[in-house]
Amino acid sequence: MISIAQNTPGKTVLLMGNEAIARGALEAGVKVCAAYPGNPSSEIIGTLAKVAKEMGLHVEWSVNEKVALEVAAAASLAGLRGLCAMKQNGLNVASDFLLNLNLTGCKGGLVLVVADDPAAVSSSNEEDSRIFAKLADLPLLEPADFQEAKEMTKMAFEISEKLELPVLIRSVTRVSHARGNVSLDELPKSGPKPKFETSQPRLAFPATANHKVLHEKLNKAKQMFEESAFNFYRGPKKPEWMLVTSGSGWMYALEAVVNLKVQDRVGILKVGTTWPLPENFVLNHLTKSDRILFIEEVDPFLENNVKEIYAQNCLDLGLKAFSGKANKIVPDVGELNPEIVTHAIMNLLNVLYEPRPAEYAQRVHEATSELVPTRALGFCAGCPHRATYWAIKVALALDGKGGFVLGDIGCYSLGMGPSGFGQMKTLHAMGSGAGLACGFGQLDRFGLEQPVLAVCGDSTFYHAAMPALANAYYNGASFLLLLLDNSATAMTGFQPHPGTGSTATGNEAPVIDLKAICEVFGARVEVVDPFDVATTVETLLRLLQDEKGVKVLILKRECALVSAKHQKRPYKVEVDTKRCLGESCGCNRLCTRIFKCPGLMWDMESGKACVDEAICTGCGVCAEICPATAIRKEAA
Amino acid sequence: MNRGLKGLEEKVLDRELCAACGACLSLCPYLRSWKGRVAKIDNCKLEEGRCFAYCPRTEVDLDEVFQRVFGKGYEDIEMGPVRKIVMARAKSRIWTKKAQTGGVVSALFDFALREGVVQAGILTPRDGDMLPQGKVITRRKEILRCVGSSYVAGPTLEALNRGPWNGKERIGIVGLPCQVLALARMKASKLEKRTPIDRVDLVIGLFCTWALDYKPFMAFLNERVGRRSIEKLNITPPPERILEVTAGNKLYRIPVDDIRPFIRPSCRVCMDMTAELSDLSVGTVEGKEGWNTVIVRTAIGENLLRRAKKAGIIETRTLPQNNLNHLIEASLLKKRRALGALNEKGGIEKGYFRLSAHLIKRILSEAKEAAP
Repeated sequence: MISIAQNTPGKTVLLMGNEAIARGALEAGVKVCAAYPGNPSSEIIGTLAKVAKEMGLHVEWSVNEKVALEVAAAASLAGLRGLCAMKQNGLNVASDFLLNLNLTGCKGGLVLVVADDPAAVSSSNEEDSRIFAKLADLPLLEPADFQEAKEMTKMAFEISEKLELPVLIRSVTRVSHARGNVSLDELPKSGPKPKFETSQPRLAFPATANHKVLHEKLNKAKQMFEESAFNFYRGPKKPEWMLVTSGSGWMYALEAVVNLKVQDRVGILKVGTTWPLPENFVLNHLTKSDRILFIEEVDPFLENNVKEIYAQNCLDLGLKAFSGKANKIVPDVGELNPEIVTHAIMNLLNVLYEPRPAEYAQRVHEATSELVPTRALGFCAGCPHRATYWAIKVALALDGKGGFVLGDIGCYSLGMGPSGFGQMKTLHAMGSGAGLACGFGQLDRFGLEQPVLAVCGDSTFYHAAMPALANAYYNGASFLLLLLDNSATAMTGFQPHPGTGSTATGNEAPVIDLKAICEVFGARVEVVDPFDVATTVETLLRLLQDEKGVKVLILKRECALVSAKHQKRPYKVEVDTKRCLGESCGCNRLCTRIFKCPGLMWDMESGKACVDEAICTGCGVCAEICPATAIRKEAA
Repeated sequence: MNRGLKGLEEKVLDRELCAACGACLSLCPYLRSWKGRVAKIDNCKLEEGRCFAYCPRTEVDLDEVFQRVFGKGYEDIEMGPVRKIVMARAKSRIWTKKAQTGGVVSALFDFALREGVVQAGILTPRDGDMLPQGKVITRRKEILRCVGSSYVAGPTLEALNRGPWNGKERIGIVGLPCQVLALARMKASKLEKRTPIDRVDLVIGLFCTWALDYKPFMAFLNERVGRRSIEKLNITPPPERILEVTAGNKLYRIPVDDIRPFIRPSCRVCMDMTAELSDLSVGTVEGKEGWNTVIVRTAIGENLLRRAKKAGIIETRTLPQNNLNHLIEASLLKKRRALGALNEKGGIEKGYFRLSAHLIKRILSEAKEAAP
């Protein structure tokens, strides 16, 4: 594994995009780095945390993105360089601070990297974070490859210091998570000593005056970007079509043009500084062709902003035809790829390109569908969440009042699907389960008879659910909050949080006790182990009865992936095939048809269940749910 | 036609026709009960299931069921096959002092256990929370815990499916009419059973006009008597019809009309007041406090009563003609009301049982004449 802290100028190394961003920050002399984990951004701070001691940095996993940005901004206000990273949803959380920080400005270079997740592969939403740069009047850079990811990060610190403004970098999954060659530069030896200038208070007030200053700074940024090396054109002098791209769109466009062999007909304008757009640079290149196609991820951000510049200058430029997301030549949802871009260009140029027969995909499917089992999104073997949702499902069915579970963000979001028996009925933002519960928990006075439940993970609780809990107690809402405490930020890669007892850099930290917090917020709190299914069901049923107010049930059981690292399987689990009822009346494959732990298999030949020893974590929950006591657990 | 859990859900659970008899419970993981309500936990998807086959509210061919138990169809329309009707009471104070009426059921059951007619029983204790739950019992002490009624339906038959059994014991069951019907269906079912139903040798049925839904009824009682623990419930005979609640050394008197809203919908379509498919059916005798009506229906029932009488456990008297007439009237009235309720619910033919049109006509005409 390559250390991003090696001081080997000129050396070329293979780096993941997020590592390249982290290296860029190191080369820029960053001192304070903060983030809340979220795919596809997590490795930026994760990588920096690993070299924090060696490089003398402060690196932290903050409780949420707003706090993370505030931490990084404080470094900047004291004259140090600060880096903050988050995913697109995180920027929504941090935006309130960001839209005031733009007015106060900053001092040391402050860079905010936002990694978007086109197609929402590991997100609840699909969102283009670039809109925030325009909203906040802040400079925005979009790396198109790995070298640029590093260079742009470094440059962003310079721009930030020159303009005294935070600078945004927008990455996407295929830049953040792919790997490529990156040539290293020197690491700086020392940095300034921090000091907060009390003579220069940082007040957003008076807003209008500050807003004016902000616009002036943005105008300066525009001038700076006119000469930026991150913006360039490649192609014939007068192309039939000019592609305008940013970010990952650049590579896709390049590949498509080469594959289609239309280099002499199509040019590519690659823009790296996408807000504010360098107007003259754009205008100069718009004269090259009357047909423009935009290739960019998620929203028509570049597309609309270029059109805006064109509209202002259309008398000089004459008629132009624009294609992109607006006329659906490029899809306006989901992720781009070379094939999509190739087809867009094929349609516009009326050229044919068939690297493989049209029915190829169909043939592949036919040839492999038997070999590759379909896999639903599901919990790991031995995941405590499966046991939790099992207990919820049983308790709600027995209770029979139509109770429902408001969802939240985490591994347990999979509770919406078969793995969680479809129990989770809403999915929005971090903390929104408890927040919605505050509202649903008031509707009984209008006749709502259904019990209201909300799930929330431990990390999500610290992130955003605490205000909701305070609100619930204060305003007298009635609901049952299920705190799924698996002692990990599991979904994003096991980052520590205030409940785990350690920090991002591996230092010991005080544990903030979930139960104590909930009690302070006035909730009646009980704790169960979800692996004890019967007790969990019983406790849920008891808590679901009429008593009003906020109740919290903490379902405490460590994430199976974390447990596997430090303990042996607690049980050896086996199926007694003589007892297994298989598909007959009395069972009908409860374990593999409904419970669906990946550690259980169905033997089609014998018509009995069996245990996949390679996968089984030995939690023993299946032994508890087997109606025929055919699944047996023995202490391992 | 058996349509498995899906059919049970559509025909019974969704239509609130579940009698909470317990016949479908502890057979599989898909059905469980909590506080008197049977809930579906997951979809089973089998096309045929014991749940559907055993349920007294799915598709019951009454002629077929009666044929199997008595060797003749559903022709004794008044109150089922009758060998003999007497009034009776237990002789020992052990039974009479706690009994709802004459203590006959407890005394007979105790006798059957001691004489080895059966080695185990399924009775229905109501522990502290008044929720009836079936339990396997083998001793007199346990029978005493099952004395008295809470007027609430509970899944007694679950205990038959759940056990624990040693695999050899002959079993006796005391059940409500719906439970007795379910037992007859269990015996008749051709599906692989995996329950000890074939070792059930004695069925004592209890007269029942309706049973209450546990949860709303308990919520109502808690409101009326506070959080006091309830010791006994008793409904006084007509014309008074008052629910007497003994709780915390106090007697509360509640008009029966106040609790009618908690009658299970399943009871409104029930045709059977006298537990017609049992060996012996036992109820009260109007106007004769401390006496039970006993209907002897089978040789097993007749034999048990004769031996108990001979052993001095039970004393019997002739049931006065007036009381007999009244019993028949009440039984036919229940049938007529059930047919009326089914008509309101979309027609008798869409109900839970099959019965020939001429028998339905007979019930309706005789009941009309008999009705007060």
